[in-house]
Amino acid sequence: MGVRSPGTAYVLLHHYMGEIDGAFRSWGFSRGGTGAISNAIGAAAREAGVEIRMQAPVARILVKNGAAQGVVLETDEEIRADAVSSSVDPNLTFLKFIESRELPDDFLEEVRRYKYRGSSGKVNLALDALPDFKCLPGPGRHLRGAISISPSTEYMERAYDQAKYGEFSHRPYIDIVIPSLTDPSVAPPGKHVMSCFVQYAPYKLSKGTWDEQREAFGSAVIETISEYAPNLKSIIVGKQVVTPLDIERQTGLTEGNIFQGELSLEQLFFLRPVAGWARYRTPIRKLYMCGSATHPGGGVMGAPGRLAALEILKDTGKGKH
Amino acid sequence: MAAAREIVILGAGHNALVAAFYLAQKGLKPLVLERRAMAGGAAVTEEFHPGFRCSTVAHAGGPPLPSIVRDMQLSKHGLETLESPVRLFAPSLDGRALVLMTDPIAASKQIEQFSKKDAGKYVELHKALKRTGAILSELLTLTPPVIEKPSNEDLWKLFKVGRKFRGLGKKEMMRVLRWGPMAVADFVAEFLETDLLRAAVAARGIYGAAMGPWSAGSTALLLLRAASDPYPVGNSAFPRGGMGALTSAMAAAARQAGAEIRTGAEVESILVKNGAAAGVVLRGGEEIPAKRVVSGADPQRTLLGLLDPVHLPPSFAVKLQHYRSNGTAAKLNLALDGLPAFTALRNVSDGNAALAGRIQIGPGIDYLERAFDDSKYGDFSRAPYLDISIPSILDNSLAPAGKHVMSIYMQFAPYRLRQGDWTQQRDALADTIIKTLAAYAPDLPGKILARQIITPKDLETTYGLTGGHPFHGELALDQIFTMRPQLGWARYRTPVKGLFLCGSGTHPGNGITGASGANAAREILKDLR
Repeated sequence: MGVRSPGTAYVLLHHYMGEIDGAFRSWGFSRGGTGAISNAIGAAAREAGVEIRMQAPVARILVKNGAAQGVVLETDEEIRADAVSSSVDPNLTFLKFIESRELPDDFLEEVRRYKYRGSSGKVNLALDALPDFKCLPGPGRHLRGAISISPSTEYMERAYDQAKYGEFSHRPYIDIVIPSLTDPSVAPPGKHVMSCFVQYAPYKLSKGTWDEQREAFGSAVIETISEYAPNLKSIIVGKQVVTPLDIERQTGLTEGNIFQGELSLEQLFFLRPVAGWARYRTPIRKLYMCGSATHPGGGVMGAPGRLAALEILKDTGKGKH
Repeated sequence: MAAAREIVILGAGHNALVAAFYLAQKGLKPLVLERRAMAGGAAVTEEFHPGFRCSTVAHAGGPPLPSIVRDMQLSKHGLETLESPVRLFAPSLDGRALVLMTDPIAASKQIEQFSKKDAGKYVELHKALKRTGAILSELLTLTPPVIEKPSNEDLWKLFKVGRKFRGLGKKEMMRVLRWGPMAVADFVAEFLETDLLRAAVAARGIYGAAMGPWSAGSTALLLLRAASDPYPVGNSAFPRGGMGALTSAMAAAARQAGAEIRTGAEVESILVKNGAAAGVVLRGGEEIPAKRVVSGADPQRTLLGLLDPVHLPPSFAVKLQHYRSNGTAAKLNLALDGLPAFTALRNVSDGNAALAGRIQIGPGIDYLERAFDDSKYGDFSRAPYLDISIPSILDNSLAPAGKHVMSIYMQFAPYRLRQGDWTQQRDALADTIIKTLAAYAPDLPGKILARQIITPKDLETTYGLTGGHPFHGELALDQIFTMRPQLGWARYRTPVKGLFLCGSGTHPGNGITGASGANAAREILKDLR
């Protein structure tokens, strides 16, 4: 969506949800990157009694007589369970891991209709030095927070216009952070990393593939930032361009949508992910959903996981009544 | 000074006339004051070239609510509706013709030439719109409830609508809730695969709005319109004699019921005494005292223009300033020497019959969206979306024998231009529209005898529509139902006692249905009891 699109005020409000260590509506960096948040959550879960197995890709979910019975890994290993809770998106859960005959047709129709349409990419840069912004030269505190390349609402809207017709924005909206300034552990001494979140990069391109367009996309981002920080090109020592296709390949997020489905009004609250199935349950007994494709949706917020757990506990009779 | 009248009504647009009729029926003898020399507001027929008349602004019926047509006995007062069997003809640039007949079976036969799948889906879409339209039409005649403290009557009426809604069944109910906030481009894609047909339907979700088919909430507008006519691409009913004949019949009905209509009477300000409306002052200084003032003008003109803002709570005034009413529509009316030949109809035996309904230039979703894109930055569309009618095909009263009038509704022409103003840009706009159309009907430019261009600025100055908005304000999710024109003030009343709104800036405020006027009259009568 563009800044002028109806309903975008919700997405803004969505980003004001949540709190960090008691600070309501706050945003912050985590030392060691966002991976550190997942690690901390993982540690807490382990301590509470959760077992986490890595490199255990699920191939399918076992269903018998309309109830989930466990999963089968890609290695053919079968893991039986009383209940299965899926945190991956509905496309993977219902269209890849489960045979379509196990699900009602109208439910499948709605799952297929659920919209992903990833529209963002990332460019991560390894830097020899700090970027020098024309408007505020030299190092300083202004580099420590979020740096937003969004000079006007018209600029952002025009960036969006290109995406509507299947092109990445040639002058994109970029949200930049330099985490090495707050957390030196992410780069060698004196060096920096620059993480650029880029919109818009539509998953479906009208011309060519993302594998063909990756370089051009990365260049557009670097060119754009260079207009504001002319020394950028000379300080880049390494770069990683992450397209929506890469996001899909690496993380399994369908169409590279970082929120597991568009946060548009018709895909929120009691309509997320499918009308009538917004309560973390599915047409298959003992199969639950707990990912960002459920209410209240994406962001590193954890709310869908907690709400799903409460519902699962209710069903098992272990929840508070 | 004359004794105070019970009611004066500002403006003689269709909603004001409907309100006047219902109030007159109760013996209130309302006085309707119209600035222009004719009644009708934006639903008028005017001669724009000697011998050539057309519906200068609105060119197709809403249609008016059946209850209004019945109560006002409009046919007795001279209204004759001409219906074209062809609802819409949509040419594609590569020379194909999509001709949609009223009869859904005939329409699906036409669609089959584009897609077998769509032929069936079109009928399914029509049925779906019928089902939801039947429920939404109940909402049209409802006074929006008070959100914080709904009355028993509010609850009962909502309950009745709710019960019908539940009658849809769970699956269908959920679908409707999901559809409303959707982009109409997504909505049509759920049914149809042919881009030309998708655009023909989707246009109904952006007509008169500052939205493109990819704007969220445009489906709600389509559904709202389906409540008046569930046919997927809308209606093609034209009053004989143009839209002015409809409002003439309304004016006659109102007069017969006891209303007085004065034309050439421009209200300059609304009088307020002791916090209540006390009458109006006309241009020239004439004061007309009245116990109640009802305005058919848009909310901003009424409350920010004609009223001294000291009478409004400051927060109300500020919010009303933010009410979005910048229009994006323009009109071009052409006097033609003969019918244009559309390339797409070259092999159709009775090509002229295809031109008798509405003609849509807007051959794809991306086309419509790009037309909208231009307007976001203050330019008019280089390749505009056009909704056209040639009413003289069915109605020989509008043009000399053998000649025709073509009424072209155009989007997007933003009220605020980035460069220049509308005085400078009006001819460029007309030229762009003609050039666009000539790509589909190459002989058109040679047949033009005269043209009348009506820019958004003209809609404001000549027809009194603030911001040039044909619907008295955007019909967006945040400006409809309980929020039209403002949350807490959607019940036709205003912060000034005895001052009411009855125009399109109130619920449901969509097209020439007259529902706003009828609802307002009902509320005014309640206050009188």
